[in-house]
Amino acid sequence: MAAATTYREPRRVDWAGIGFAVVLTLCIILPLLVVGTWAFANVWRYPSVLPQEFGLRYWNATLARADVWTAITTSISLAVVVTLISAIICLPAAFAFARLQFPGRSILFFSFLAGQAFPKFGLLVAIAGIFLQLNLIGNFWGVVLIQLVGTLLFMIWIPVAAFQGVDRRMEEAARDVGASPLRVFWSITLPQAGPTIGAAVLLTFVNTFYETEGAWLIGAPAIRTMPVLMISFINNQPVIQYGAVLSVLLWIPSFFALLFARRVISGGSFARGFGA
Amino acid sequence: MSLSPTSDIVGASKKSGGLIGLLLVAVPVLLIGWMIIYPIIAAVITTLWLRNDAGAYVFSTQTYRFFFTDGYSLANLGLTLWTTVVCAIILLVVCLPIALYLRFATGRLAVYVQGLAIFPLFVPSIILSYAFIRVLGPNGMLDILLNAAHLPKIRSPYLTPWGPVIGLVWDHIPLTVLILMAGLGSVSDASIEAAKDVGAGPVTRLWYIILPRISNSILVAASFAVLGIFSAFTLPYVLGPAAPEMMGPFMQRTFRDLYDPPNAITQAVVSFGFCIVFGLFYVRSVVRNQRAR
Amino acid sequence: MAVLDIKGVSKFFGSAVRAVDDFDLTVGNGELVCLLGPSGSGKSTLLRMIGGFETPSAGSITIDGDEVIHLPPERRPTGMVFQSHALWTHMNVFKNLAFGLKLRRLPADEIRRKVEDVLKLVGLTGYGTRQTHQLSGGQQQRVALARSLVLEPKILLLDEPFASLDQHLRERLREEVRDIQQRMGITTLFVTHGQDEALSMADRIVVMRDGRIEQVAAPDMLYREPATPFVAGFIGTMNLIEGEVKGGKFVRASFSHPLPIADGPAIFAVRPEALAIAPATGEGAARIHRVTDYGTHGLVDLELPDGTRHKAMVSEARDWKAGQPVTLAPRAFAAYRDNAVAYRSSTAS
Ligand SMILES: Nc1ncnc2c1ncn2[C@@H]1O[C@H](COP(=O)(O)OP(=O)(O)OP(=O)(O)O)[C@@H](O)[C@H]1O
Ligand SMILES: [Mg+2]
Repeated sequence: MAAATTYREPRRVDWAGIGFAVVLTLCIILPLLVVGTWAFANVWRYPSVLPQEFGLRYWNATLARADVWTAITTSISLAVVVTLISAIICLPAAFAFARLQFPGRSILFFSFLAGQAFPKFGLLVAIAGIFLQLNLIGNFWGVVLIQLVGTLLFMIWIPVAAFQGVDRRMEEAARDVGASPLRVFWSITLPQAGPTIGAAVLLTFVNTFYETEGAWLIGAPAIRTMPVLMISFINNQPVIQYGAVLSVLLWIPSFFALLFARRVISGGSFARGFGA
Repeated sequence: MSLSPTSDIVGASKKSGGLIGLLLVAVPVLLIGWMIIYPIIAAVITTLWLRNDAGAYVFSTQTYRFFFTDGYSLANLGLTLWTTVVCAIILLVVCLPIALYLRFATGRLAVYVQGLAIFPLFVPSIILSYAFIRVLGPNGMLDILLNAAHLPKIRSPYLTPWGPVIGLVWDHIPLTVLILMAGLGSVSDASIEAAKDVGAGPVTRLWYIILPRISNSILVAASFAVLGIFSAFTLPYVLGPAAPEMMGPFMQRTFRDLYDPPNAITQAVVSFGFCIVFGLFYVRSVVRNQRAR
Repeated sequence: MAVLDIKGVSKFFGSAVRAVDDFDLTVGNGELVCLLGPSGSGKSTLLRMIGGFETPSAGSITIDGDEVIHLPPERRPTGMVFQSHALWTHMNVFKNLAFGLKLRRLPADEIRRKVEDVLKLVGLTGYGTRQTHQLSGGQQQRVALARSLVLEPKILLLDEPFASLDQHLRERLREEVRDIQQRMGITTLFVTHGQDEALSMADRIVVMRDGRIEQVAAPDMLYREPATPFVAGFIGTMNLIEGEVKGGKFVRASFSHPLPIADGPAIFAVRPEALAIAPATGEGAARIHRVTDYGTHGLVDLELPDGTRHKAMVSEARDWKAGQPVTLAPRAFAAYRDNAVAYRSSTAS
């Protein structure tokens, strides 16, 4: 009798996966690598495949520019103000939607979708028409308002889900051992819903930071955020490295979003919020 | 993210919560009313009731007649429609295979592919525009590589209608993939194995089992893309041709550079009109989804 | 320690649902009372009203004579243990136990001492630094119990605390809880679905149905003298034969038995162990449908000619065959009429 041969499953090569990985790497990572390389190139003349000289020369040059610093401070203060206001008005509202019973609750909850039914820039133009009469064009608070509206849907819907995800019995158990409703909220509900709410706040900050269209339409030319400055670099700046360095700087908030909010995004509820 | 009834067995339903609840949600709700609903209504009204010479407001379709007889406006609208349709088609052709692959694949390669597909979500479109120019623009990376391989240069899509198409597709890949994947999640393994069992090949399975199940998700993804692309601003503004231009840059220029808000708002209302079907469908899907949970 | 007095308590949800309906009960000092009843009978609702999580539509609840009905849960001297343990997952075991003590502004070393004591009580010494997800299901439920006990509540309320545990663990925890409860002499109300749980733990059992009390009795009495056909059928196994009394004789199909009550409809109740069967010559009163051998005894399924099935216990299963005709001889039985006992034989079942 022949020696027992164990059947071995043939190793299947995941050709489709390799194909997708290669194509997506080329189309998505490569362009960004090129920008990153430009940011650290002191000299890169056509047609050399690699820069002739690497270095930080243009970092110093970019960071020495006054318009860059104004843009950075404008962007950060806008994003901080908008995120703060948004959190202050939206989180209590989210709690109310999740936990209280009041007339019109459902219709009000879905009213936050109103903005989603229209093309965004058209909506911005319509809003700008109103702002024109209120003298809010070219005004810091005009930009704050228009960016604030853009954050409402996320800042309400994600925290509502977070609050609803907190087990009621945990809260009741806290009442049972003597905690007042306010204390329960502070010691139990908020810590339980915290990570998701934190992700929503972070995403709001990042989205506001990158919001270009409202800032451009309402704010220009007085209010120049980093993305707006970037547009003018692309259109009028012959030195390529300035744009590259600014791009890398601009990407920093996204990097943090990538680190901390990724799980919320790849979880199904995020896509479902978009109607999937 | 659903709004489940609060009066379930667990919670002490708060009857007194009515007024407090309304107060807590008042500010965001009023903001939506003032900054979304009111501007939309106002936009329609101000473009249809114009002030005549006597100072009285009369009904008039003049701005719309101008838009639909002006050759340049029509060319812009045409370009926008073309871009939207082309982008939507390319997005589905690109993202459906990725989503299908991710639905059925396991292992580290699939995780990597998923990470890549979602990654553009973390790249703001302005950086994307810049990267586009550095790679596909004149003397960009592609030219450098072609030159190094002694091949002729390509015609750069930068500042042609294809520029915004490429940028917009790149930008919309993550959410399209996520929406399609969420839809594919509802196709059970069992139903596919059952189809295999009766001898259905891959194409048959795709056509008769999978696609019918996710047709709604495909429509949602398409609507979402249409709404985002129709009035896109940054990418067409930076990457697209100067004339004709897409509706986004067109509106911006009419509003800010030509100081002509009435016509800009007319253009906005026209784009509302073209997107309203997709918008309503999209909102209806989201609402239905929320209620189902 | 404490006496719990519930008087005329009702809870309506909307106008249609009467979750609890005019409920009266007094739980004595140190007593353990089980609330037993089918799903939806209002057990949890009653418990939640005592804990303060639900406001009664009517009635009064007093603890040691003090009305508590208007107090919010945090001001009531009650401690509640939930079915899903409801531990706070963002705190470790120590913090879970210390939370209530901190709210009472006790000094830190006293908190530490109390927490250690209660951990020892529930057999979890040294588990203080564990995160809640690092505990087994049984340990989690013990921490939940400890969280209530550490505050020394006057009334302990348990809502199916072991429902999510397996049979073996459930039996062990049941004994532990009974032990602790007796040692501390704490007045306790315990909700359960399971009759064996109730029978093995309780001083008294309240059988509930549709928000009302069917019967309150000590476990042994509940089994021996169920007050209504519902209790009879709910506790243990009982053959309930619906029939007619005519001239001092209960009749149902081919089964008849002397029953000295007035003519009219009645329910004849006999436990399987009190129903003797004998081989019949000819038709008999019933036919054996199936015999199940449990080793120590056998259980015989009987079928009356009209198709109704009943059970009888036999000492030796092998003596009986399916299809065999038998006669029925109830040794002890009761009869119900109008939802109350109409007759009980002297050697009650
Ligand atoms: N918040 C509420 N709103 C409406 N009806 C309710 C509510 N809470 C309980 N009920 C109803 O009250 C009745 C009693 O419910 P309860 O939870 O007290 O039963 P239970 O005996 O604890 O059942 P189980 O053994 O399944 O836990 C049920 O019919 C239930 O549907
Ligand atoms: Mg219950």
